[in-house]
Amino acid sequence: MIDMDKLVDVEKSTQSKQVFWDQGVYDLELERIFGRCWLFLAHESQLEKPGDFFSTKMAEDNVIVTRHTDGSLKAFINSCTHRGNSVCTADSGNTRSFVCNYHGWVFGTDGALVDVPLKEKCYHDELDMSKLSLPSVRVESYRGFVFGCFDETAPSLEDFLGDWGWYLDTWMVGAGNGVELIGPPMKSILKCNWKVPTENFVGDGYHVGWTHASALEMLGGELGALAGNRANMPFDELGIQVTTRHGHGFGVIDHAGVGIHNKRDGYAKFLQDTLPEVAEKLGQPRADIYDGHWNCSTFPNCSFLYGTNIFKVWHPRGPHEIEVWSWVIVHKDMDDETKREIVKQAVRSFGTAGTLESDDGDNMVNSTQNNRGGHARDNNMDSRMGVGHEGPHPDYPGIVGSSFIGETSYRGFYRFYQEIMSAESWDAIRAKDDQWADCFPNKDYWKDRLAAKAKAGE
Amino acid sequence: MHNIEAKERVSMQLHHDVTQHYFQEATLLQEREFNTWLETFVAKDIHYWMPVVERRYAKDKRPEPTIYDMAIYNDEYDDLEQRVNRLGTGTVWMENPASSVRYFIDHVEAFHTDNEDELLVTSNFLVFRHRGQLEHSEHVGGRRDVLRKVAGGYQLVRRKITLDARVTEDKNLYMFF
Repeated sequence: MIDMDKLVDVEKSTQSKQVFWDQGVYDLELERIFGRCWLFLAHESQLEKPGDFFSTKMAEDNVIVTRHTDGSLKAFINSCTHRGNSVCTADSGNTRSFVCNYHGWVFGTDGALVDVPLKEKCYHDELDMSKLSLPSVRVESYRGFVFGCFDETAPSLEDFLGDWGWYLDTWMVGAGNGVELIGPPMKSILKCNWKVPTENFVGDGYHVGWTHASALEMLGGELGALAGNRANMPFDELGIQVTTRHGHGFGVIDHAGVGIHNKRDGYAKFLQDTLPEVAEKLGQPRADIYDGHWNCSTFPNCSFLYGTNIFKVWHPRGPHEIEVWSWVIVHKDMDDETKREIVKQAVRSFGTAGTLESDDGDNMVNSTQNNRGGHARDNNMDSRMGVGHEGPHPDYPGIVGSSFIGETSYRGFYRFYQEIMSAESWDAIRAKDDQWADCFPNKDYWKDRLAAKAKAGE
Repeated sequence: MHNIEAKERVSMQLHHDVTQHYFQEATLLQEREFNTWLETFVAKDIHYWMPVVERRYAKDKRPEPTIYDMAIYNDEYDDLEQRVNRLGTGTVWMENPASSVRYFIDHVEAFHTDNEDELLVTSNFLVFRHRGQLEHSEHVGGRRDVLRKVAGGYQLVRRKITLDARVTEDKNLYMFF
């Protein structure tokens, strides 16, 4: 029996190193996390026409997501109901049907079995095809981002995202017609546990100056000052970090949105031109973070950098390996030249050969593989940076940390990780909706800080 | 940009010169002489490109990727220069101790083009990277180059790199091909 209270100590902000290594923990994650949560599948811009399909994964299950002939989005497991072979072997495309290579069973773009060879002569017309559809997956879309869920009892996608959706709307809704993803995704293997990159993106502003010292030094510019942590910067004034219900979270460096991009004129101008629209539509708090650089994770395994605009899914492949899929985010209303430059710049930094990606990948593998030793695994990992310097904020939902360098959203991520791993059902999780933030006890942190600031300004 | 047409095959002597050029290039990269490689082997108007190629059905009529589409490398000279400079900062932690990269360049076919100073050359590569105690990876693919004749040798004007694997089995591709 896995004792989650032992593996994650919410009060002390520690996690056992076993969470990155043990097969038993991983098996429980497949059941209780990947079997219950909404997982990113595709963006609607990849599925515009009826018959468009995209092959993806939900943890270790192969899944096809389609635009059905009636215009609705469908998703189903890519496994023939006859002998289990995959019925689709292409990455994407447009089709009227999916045909299994083994015996030729034919499925529609809604997953329904529509034809079976020799069904009259050899099945004697006795096959109930209506009961042999490909197993379907719940599909919902948020601002064009399509997610799938295996659990019928899970909340709606919108409720699962909750306050995180409020933040996402800053750029998914804020400017013009929103955003889209540019693919096809780059794909690579990283020999790390899936939580290592998720926790890194959810709230690790701390590693930026050290891990990426070489890339920052080479880039220069406003973020170049972070290289090697040499600069004396007032970190509490440069951004915030946020965690929300269900473990989602992010950190934002104020006004640094395009900082990683080498060539950025079109992008910077777009943000500047659309900023008033965001303020008008969504209000000043969100306008204030619209041109920031965000490092984010949507629980459990979808991470992105808004600003740099790389968008990633970490598909687990056992406890010690993931498949990394990377797309690029662009605003739909940008001109083609700006979109192309953003794709180029995002990939240059965080693509498979990216100048910053290369730094991260090595750390993520090391964080995982170094736990092979049983004595190493007897120890805990620590995520206490900024404890007490966080709390509810008058303008921003969730729990807000004092600085983009802190571990508030690590703590929020592992708090929910422990909760969902321990919970018998979604009902048990829903029952705690009002108590989730109790582990962040300094309720007056922002009240006091903002009052002190106002007083100093008088 | 990468659609330069192949004309007649080059002579045995020219083919020999081109393969020797590739061996020298591989030696420079193996010995981590990145600055020398960039300064002497790469033209200022280089386009260095590794497109992302999807697995698609034979009937799929969508066009091949262009330089405006998703690509792992889509570099001009200053982009390559920054990559080289990063390796020289002394703070690329994963390259200290340095990894060992070894190149096998083979199946070289060289052709004249409409431009008398430029050759179109295709080749296969096998690149191995070893690192740390047991870490290793291998990458197999093809290159389609345009080489320009300059005083004392050739410079790379175009390189389109096609990886045969859809999923890269490596933590990154921050090496030159």
